[in-house]
Amino acid sequence: MMDELEFLKKDWKKQGADFPKLSYMEIYKLIHKKSSSIVKWIFIICIAEFLFWGLIALCIPESTFAIYEKFNLKTFLFVTQSLHYVVVFVFIYLFYKNYKTISVVDNTGLLMKNILKTRKTVNYYVYYNIILYVILSIFLNAVMFSHPDILIENLMPANSELDTDKFLAVMIVVQIILLLVMCGIIWAYYRIIYGILLKKLNRNYKELESLEV
Amino acid sequence: MNKKIEHKFIVEFEQNQNIIHKVCRIYTSNQDAHNDLFQEIAIQLWKAYPKFRGESKLSTWMYRIGLNTAITLYRKSKRSIVTQDFDSVLYKIESTSYDDTEEEQLKLMYKAIHQLTDIDKALIFLYLEDVNYKEIAETMGISEVNARVRMNRIKTRLKTILNP
Repeated sequence: MMDELEFLKKDWKKQGADFPKLSYMEIYKLIHKKSSSIVKWIFIICIAEFLFWGLIALCIPESTFAIYEKFNLKTFLFVTQSLHYVVVFVFIYLFYKNYKTISVVDNTGLLMKNILKTRKTVNYYVYYNIILYVILSIFLNAVMFSHPDILIENLMPANSELDTDKFLAVMIVVQIILLLVMCGIIWAYYRIIYGILLKKLNRNYKELESLEV
Repeated sequence: MNKKIEHKFIVEFEQNQNIIHKVCRIYTSNQDAHNDLFQEIAIQLWKAYPKFRGESKLSTWMYRIGLNTAITLYRKSKRSIVTQDFDSVLYKIESTSYDDTEEEQLKLMYKAIHQLTDIDKALIFLYLEDVNYKEIAETMGISEVNARVRMNRIKTRLKTILNP
């Protein structure tokens, strides 16, 4: 049926003399070069994400919390933050555990599965951060806006010409816009990461998986 | 000790480097891409070598790492690989003694192979290397039956590409 393939197979076995032969020294130099494997890139990106979300939390100035004190939310925030760090460590542990299982010697299906699983751990971590951010924003705003008198007293400039209703409306709009912008940035970022780095891997994995159905 | 392992690895690599070139020939169609992939596979082999205990043949172990690297390697643009002029695809083939028709046929074959998916390329590679279906199945992580079925589909697909 396939004369061409048989012909190619014959040629395939003959080839060899055509390839450049690397010397001992050339091979030595080659194996000491830097890898550009997807696993390495995923590792770097994931570490960057852990750091990014960690640093964002650290970058919030202490003064931001002063306002929450007025609403008796300080203990609540302390407990939330402590729990948050526990969750972060669980995520880092899971990420590291999955990362360690990636082995280029495994069969192709398993290798791709482990790479995607590692990547997914970090995805869940980011989802967790976004959800936490959204829930906390809604909750804190709900508490603050249910006591508009304290809010106005603390945040509204004394010489403002706005009336209090308008001030509160502006506050709400600003908060909503902030939330949307934040989600938009994150969404765009993931489109890029997935679009560029993982599209091929996902496609190959799905193809291999579809063979087994 | 480390130096000893390194020496052993380089010697074995030197003797078997054709396997890597063959993987690169299936997956790339220009010299730059070929060299990039060759380098990455060499690095991955070296990284994995200290754990290689010789339970499998060296060639089997090299197939696995070579194909896994080719399949999972992130490449900048698929287009630069697919739409290369296929005269550069077989940059070395002219040196073997074929008449024009046979040479043309080989070029077309490689061009057709380059149109396959990464997974199918791996299967065709193992087929050309005369690897049995049991080992193909183990390398890819699929069942033997599915490996056979898929291989037949690839042959049909190649035929369609070659005789549209």
